Amino acid sequence: MTFSPMTETSLLAAVCCSVLPLVAFAVVMIGTRNRRRLSAGISIGAVGVSLLCSVFLLVRHWHADEPLRFVGTWLISGEITVPIGVLLDPTSLLMLVVVAGICFLVQVYSLGYMAGDPGFTRYYAFMSLFAWAMISLTLSPTLLQLYVFWELVGLSSYLLIGFWYEKFSASEAGKKAFVMTRLGDVAFLLGLLVVLVEFGNLDILELNSLAPLQRMDPAVITLSALLIFGGIVGKSAQFPLLTWLPDAMEGPTPVSALLHSATMVAAGVFLFARIFPFFRLSSTAMTVFLLIGTVSMLLSSTMAMVARDIKQVWAYSTVSQLGFMIMGLAAGSFFSGVFHLTTHAGFKALLFLCSGVFIHAFGTNDMFEIGRRGGRGLHIPMVCMVIAAAALSGIPPLSGFFSKEAILGALAELDNPVWLAAGLLGAFLTAYYTFRLLFIVLFPRRQEPEGDGDGKDGGHGAHDPHAHRQEYRAMAGPLLVLAAVTLVLGFAHGPLERFLHFEGAAAGGHGPHWLLYAALGLASAGVALAYLEFGLPGAAQVGFVERMPALKKLFAERWYLDRMYRWLLDRIVYGMVSRACSFNDRKVIDGGLDGLSRGTIASGRRLSSLHGEMIQYRILVVFAVVALLVLHFFLQ
Amino acid sequence: MYVEYADFPYLSTILLSCVAGLLVILFLPRERTREIKWVSAIFSGITLIISLYLFVAYDKGQAGFQFAEKIDWVPSLGITYFNAVDGFSMPMLLLTGIVFFTGVLTMWELENRVKEFFALTFLLVTGVFGLFMGLDLFFIFVWYDVSLFPMYLLIAVWGSTRKEYAAMKLTLYLLAGSALILPAIVYLVVTAGLGSFDLLALTEPNLFTADQQKFAFLLLYIGFGILAGVWPFHTWSPVGHVAAPTAVSMIHAGVLMKIGAFGVLRLGMYMCPEGWQYWAPLMALLAVVGIVYGVFVGLQQTDLKYVIGYSSVSHMGIVGLGLATVSVDGLNGAVFQMFAHGVMTALFFSAVGYIYDRTHTKAIAELGGLSRAMPVASGYFILAALTGVGVPCLASFWAELMVFISAFKVYPLYGTLAVCALVVSALFMLRVVQRACYGPENHRFSGLEDVSFRLGLPRMILAGVIVLFGLFPSLMFDMIRTASLPFVAGLP
Repeated sequence: MTFSPMTETSLLAAVCCSVLPLVAFAVVMIGTRNRRRLSAGISIGAVGVSLLCSVFLLVRHWHADEPLRFVGTWLISGEITVPIGVLLDPTSLLMLVVVAGICFLVQVYSLGYMAGDPGFTRYYAFMSLFAWAMISLTLSPTLLQLYVFWELVGLSSYLLIGFWYEKFSASEAGKKAFVMTRLGDVAFLLGLLVVLVEFGNLDILELNSLAPLQRMDPAVITLSALLIFGGIVGKSAQFPLLTWLPDAMEGPTPVSALLHSATMVAAGVFLFARIFPFFRLSSTAMTVFLLIGTVSMLLSSTMAMVARDIKQVWAYSTVSQLGFMIMGLAAGSFFSGVFHLTTHAGFKALLFLCSGVFIHAFGTNDMFEIGRRGGRGLHIPMVCMVIAAAALSGIPPLSGFFSKEAILGALAELDNPVWLAAGLLGAFLTAYYTFRLLFIVLFPRRQEPEGDGDGKDGGHGAHDPHAHRQEYRAMAGPLLVLAAVTLVLGFAHGPLERFLHFEGAAAGGHGPHWLLYAALGLASAGVALAYLEFGLPGAAQVGFVERMPALKKLFAERWYLDRMYRWLLDRIVYGMVSRACSFNDRKVIDGGLDGLSRGTIASGRRLSSLHGEMIQYRILVVFAVVALLVLHFFLQ
Repeated sequence: MYVEYADFPYLSTILLSCVAGLLVILFLPRERTREIKWVSAIFSGITLIISLYLFVAYDKGQAGFQFAEKIDWVPSLGITYFNAVDGFSMPMLLLTGIVFFTGVLTMWELENRVKEFFALTFLLVTGVFGLFMGLDLFFIFVWYDVSLFPMYLLIAVWGSTRKEYAAMKLTLYLLAGSALILPAIVYLVVTAGLGSFDLLALTEPNLFTADQQKFAFLLLYIGFGILAGVWPFHTWSPVGHVAAPTAVSMIHAGVLMKIGAFGVLRLGMYMCPEGWQYWAPLMALLAVVGIVYGVFVGLQQTDLKYVIGYSSVSHMGIVGLGLATVSVDGLNGAVFQMFAHGVMTALFFSAVGYIYDRTHTKAIAELGGLSRAMPVASGYFILAALTGVGVPCLASFWAELMVFISAFKVYPLYGTLAVCALVVSALFMLRVVQRACYGPENHRFSGLEDVSFRLGLPRMILAGVIVLFGLFPSLMFDMIRTASLPFVAGLP
């Protein structure tokens, strides 16, 4: 474990970067709740400075050889000391810029999207809270600190999903997200406890060295890696905890763009990358991760193929892309996973923000409805969405193409060809469902093919044209920036690979050269199939999956995962355990007590009749007692 | 053990200001309710200020008891008036001051028998303060009973929802507890044969054999454990919480339950350390059952206050688990949890009290849409719920974390179960928040006013304390450590 102490400037920049949004949260919450523009200004200003600081740090440490670390103490108990500090290495620096950048852009975009919402200031306060938690998570030097902020991003996610708390579905989705990620977090915490007890501390650099091999049993390493991965499954919505993410789309669209696609859900993958060398110590665990990533990727792709709700499609796609990143990392290629995380953050946020403009303008989430009402008339979001969708499908020369190639290359180096086949199938499905959506919006049909569209109201109807234009402008700026990033980021492949390279990292494999053509061919096949079914003039706009009712039902019902959870919750948790405990409380414990007191009262009443009435009776008793005593003494 | 005597009787001043407040209230005419409330606020404010001062002035570099004052009371029986605070009792003193002051402010709108209410509250709190600072067994027992007796009247007269039943149940339970504590105290004093009730003298090593300690500790554990809501002796507490008026619920759940845990710590564990270590596995078992059981029963509740009552059972289980680990971290976590839980439930009940006073209902099914009608009031409720869920950077997170870590080391299975209960606890708290606060605007509540600044003051203080100690937990850990480190190091 080697690291350099941090210079004061870097430390100051890092602290500013993380603390300023917290200050903004406090100020807005306490001081300026009734002043909309000021609150938004404070919040955006804070995250803007954070962005500047993070860019400064990235540039300054671009050539740093060793990670920089600063650690102070947060609290000392007895044997346990909780440190707080900052760790700057390529992984955290890159993530920091991604997080701060998207936070900033989304907050600017929200000026337009959330204009006129009664909870405008509350929205900005929660956004600042999230920015603080997420940036601090990125900078954490220990897993415990990471866990603290991990929970806090979960909290801000809960608050923001349920932002429109008057809608039952929104508050329900917030609760579901919190509880389901909690399920994973409990595993994470148990994993941390195992590491803490067996290894002695939770320092990331130390865990990433070879020290765990000396101090921990291989079985314990596997156990703790699997438990910690539980947290990743929860946060990054992997199988089997993936169903909270599509529901989380109940939140405002900028929130979906920021938390539920680009940054917060990517925190799981970030954690994987963060302790990648530790995870790699256990090949069993890595195989399990690979399996879970693959299953999540394929399952959610199938779900995306039948969704009508534009945000749902992107949500499923997020799950599938996160699964893809985990596949890359679990295949042993550190770079491919992190690179895809970076590019995905850009183009997925862009997809959501574009969709947000449509939703804002037309007041519906239904893609057919958006198409019919002239979605393609909004030029900037339409063009940007095509760029982002092409990047998602892995079409060159956009950013997604390069990162996807890197992952497929890593998969190709594995012994078992199943993983590569799954990855290629995933690439095909991704291209298909992405362009299905795109063609539906671009080439609307007069008549709706099926009449089960229920447009959820996510936006807020029409405003007067002038205000509308202003809002549109606030939203368009961030779109253009992200589109530009998506266009050029792919070419940063080489420099980024050098930047992220660390000792012991496997060299990024490029796979056999036929792989490039295979991937491209499959992606084009997906696009072509989508065009045949949805784009071609006269096409029925019914996908091949939708022609098979059983399959369609299975996909639309999310492989019955939600049904299973509902059943478990209603039958087991509420119906059995909770009812049994309540019954015990009321009937057994309290019933026993009440019975005891009733018995006491009754026996008291019985005995009290010895006093009071019937003097002859009492004399009889006295006589009997005396007689017995006399008898007793005589017999002795 | 190191004892530093005070140059000014701060601790007695706290007790005296309680008594003085009581007397002034008694001599005020009953119609002057405004004056009575102001007097209560001022005298309870004095106790808060002094305990805050002591918390800051306490010398953390110096372990042991500070601000001590000792007067012989009945020399022939070895009874002394002996008060002092250490790292364990200091947080409790501060907690009592905070909850007392905010409780009085919370009852600002009371109109029914104001004089009697505040007089009894002062009496109750005098006992609580006395118990936390007392180091003489005789006085500790007296203070214990002083704090129990007013409870019955406060619930039976000002309460709601089966108040007679609840008051009687609570009183009988707690008297049963004191029926176990008194023999234990007498037994220990007589067995030691020192002719003294001085707690510090009785903590000298080798005074009691291991078997004597096992016997006495069990009595003290059950006796005080009843008050701490240890499973299966917990059923008085949710019923009592529900029936009591707001300030009494605050003091009851916030402070009174802590007396139980503190009694186990100060009397049981100090005098019978070997008994403690012998019974620790049992304590851990009961604690974990309480943690898991509390959240599951809580899931079924339909009344807001019952929900909080069962969450208290679960949270006090965490205190019990921490005590059962016999380790510095476990003790630190337990004492911090006592403090954090006290402030949290006080905020909970304070918020619910406000909501109940306006909407006249505590039934979760009848509420809904509160966040629209009173955003600030429901905001306090949500903050308390999030503290209960164990969100980081709110006070109880750190306490729970310490307890989990140390429990996981000593009892891996129990530790795992306690951590798993976090999921259900999130489900159960957020379910209540969702049903009560969220949802469409409720027209029955649309005319209700939100918390004003003045009425919001107690809630603001409590919320501030939760966030302060959540962000800077070392403020509290540094204090508790001064007591727990030497105590565990000195264990046989």
